[in-house]
Amino acid sequence: MRAIIIDDERLARTELKKMLLEFPELEVVDEATNAEEGISKIAKHQPDIIFLDIQMPGKTGFEMLQQLEKTPQVIFTTAYDEFALKAFEVNALDYLLKPIEPKRLSDAIHKLTASDQREVRSEGEFVNNSILSESDQVFVKDGERCWFVKLSDIRLFESVGNYAKVFFGTNKPLILKSLNALEERLDEKVFFRANRKHIINLRMIEKIEPYFNGGLLLELKGGEKIEVSRRQTVKFKEMMSL
Amino acid sequence: MQLHTKRYWFLQVAGWGFVGMVMLFFARAYKVDMPLDILLKRIAIVFVSGILVTHLLRELIRWQGWMMKPVEKVVPLLLVAIVVASVTFSFLVLKGREWFDLNTPSPKNISFWTKLAGSTFDNGLFILPWVLIYYFYHFFQKSRRQQLDALKMESLIKELELRTIKAHINPHFIFNSLNSIRALVDENPQRARRAITELSNILRSSMHTEKLETVPLTNELDIVKDYLALENMRFEDRLKVEYEIDEDTLKMPVPPMMLQTLVENAIKHGISQQVNGGVVKVISDFTGDYHELVVQNTGQMDSNGNGKGFGTSSTASRLNLLYGEKAKFEIQQINGSLVEARVLIPVSL
Repeated sequence: MRAIIIDDERLARTELKKMLLEFPELEVVDEATNAEEGISKIAKHQPDIIFLDIQMPGKTGFEMLQQLEKTPQVIFTTAYDEFALKAFEVNALDYLLKPIEPKRLSDAIHKLTASDQREVRSEGEFVNNSILSESDQVFVKDGERCWFVKLSDIRLFESVGNYAKVFFGTNKPLILKSLNALEERLDEKVFFRANRKHIINLRMIEKIEPYFNGGLLLELKGGEKIEVSRRQTVKFKEMMSL
Repeated sequence: MQLHTKRYWFLQVAGWGFVGMVMLFFARAYKVDMPLDILLKRIAIVFVSGILVTHLLRELIRWQGWMMKPVEKVVPLLLVAIVVASVTFSFLVLKGREWFDLNTPSPKNISFWTKLAGSTFDNGLFILPWVLIYYFYHFFQKSRRQQLDALKMESLIKELELRTIKAHINPHFIFNSLNSIRALVDENPQRARRAITELSNILRSSMHTEKLETVPLTNELDIVKDYLALENMRFEDRLKVEYEIDEDTLKMPVPPMMLQTLVENAIKHGISQQVNGGVVKVISDFTGDYHELVVQNTGQMDSNGNGKGFGTSSTASRLNLLYGEKAKFEIQQINGSLVEARVLIPVSL
């Protein structure tokens, strides 16, 4: 697995690199000293995993993740920070406290390699960088809570001004992305633009009913009812009949 | 015997003694026709019964905790107690006279109960003032004690406030430093050893300055230097440190860990937010009747957060606790890229 370390302190990076020497399955391909550098290096190397400091000059680690289209696996590294830990406890994200304990590091890496192998099998060979696949994850932050969400777990995107509301599980946080931008990046085999305001996950449809004007009314697994516009209904029927 | 118990018995004996003296005086003055020994015995009975009844009354008041009760609740209780005590008192006095055969031959044949009713009224005149004196004495004692308690509480709170403010050292800083030190153990063992000393100094002083209100600036400056040396180890060339210290100010008393807090703020809100880092400058000087401490750092005041954080509010409240209105503290943007925190401490001559 290829890794990038993102931390503003040289010594912290040095220390982590040294600890990672113990894990031959992991190769540190590059490092970055701030969020901007991190974003460009992630784009360049497409790493499987990043070690990410939260407090950095300019942008925090969280802010950096929110800018990414899709996030690699992330292990946060942080010194004590109440705010960050609160977010972690809610959603059980992986984090390491600096100075990092070797045992905790190896646990975190083993957890990742295990999940990584499972995914490679399910994902198959097809990879296209500009289109997000179902198994890609995005980082979503809403106030103090944050999540890594697999696209396959998302039922619905709803347009709210410049934001999009993301529906998964019982949560529906906002992300700063327009529906059009999302549509371009999402796999059209899975995500379908039902109308001007909604993109739905086709695998999350519970019920289909006819609606006015030759349109359709879809009920999703979370109970949301989404109208499919007449124009899109034609397209929807085409796709489903294939 | 405790002091207040002694005082109580002294007052009891003195009070009832005075009553006895007055009775004796009036008996003589009005030339009551009674042999002296009988008169004295009768006075003795009043004296003994009075003390006995009022002492029982006191025990009742203490046992029931009437002094703790609000006035409006205790007044009816006291009134009942006064009546009961007066009846008991009279009963004892009259029975005592019968017992010792001290009754003067009475022309009219008055029944015992009529006498009791009459003398209850008379004797009530002794019990009532006794209760009033007892109650108000304790009432004022209590309110004075409460005032004292309130004062003590106030100073305790002040001390606790100072202590919690002083004890604050950022755990984030400690763990980041330890992490850097671990990296330095291989890379630069000399620097690692020095860093451990610096960190120990900071931890030690943050613990034991809790007991002190002020320390000489030179001690505080040692901590600040150790602290900045450690931050320098973390930020490397992103942090430049400058000092401008007037030698004469080194002995001036300053609140411990205050300059340290300001410098920590300068790093936290200033340098650590700057991708390219910046300068922290520490200045100590005299201006007029004030000792001036200044910390400047590269950065921008953010309108929402800065100036309201724990560091700045604790500095302001500490100065206020120690010097009142006389000390000044301000934090402001002094030009496009520098933020300045300035403390003015009055120089006591």
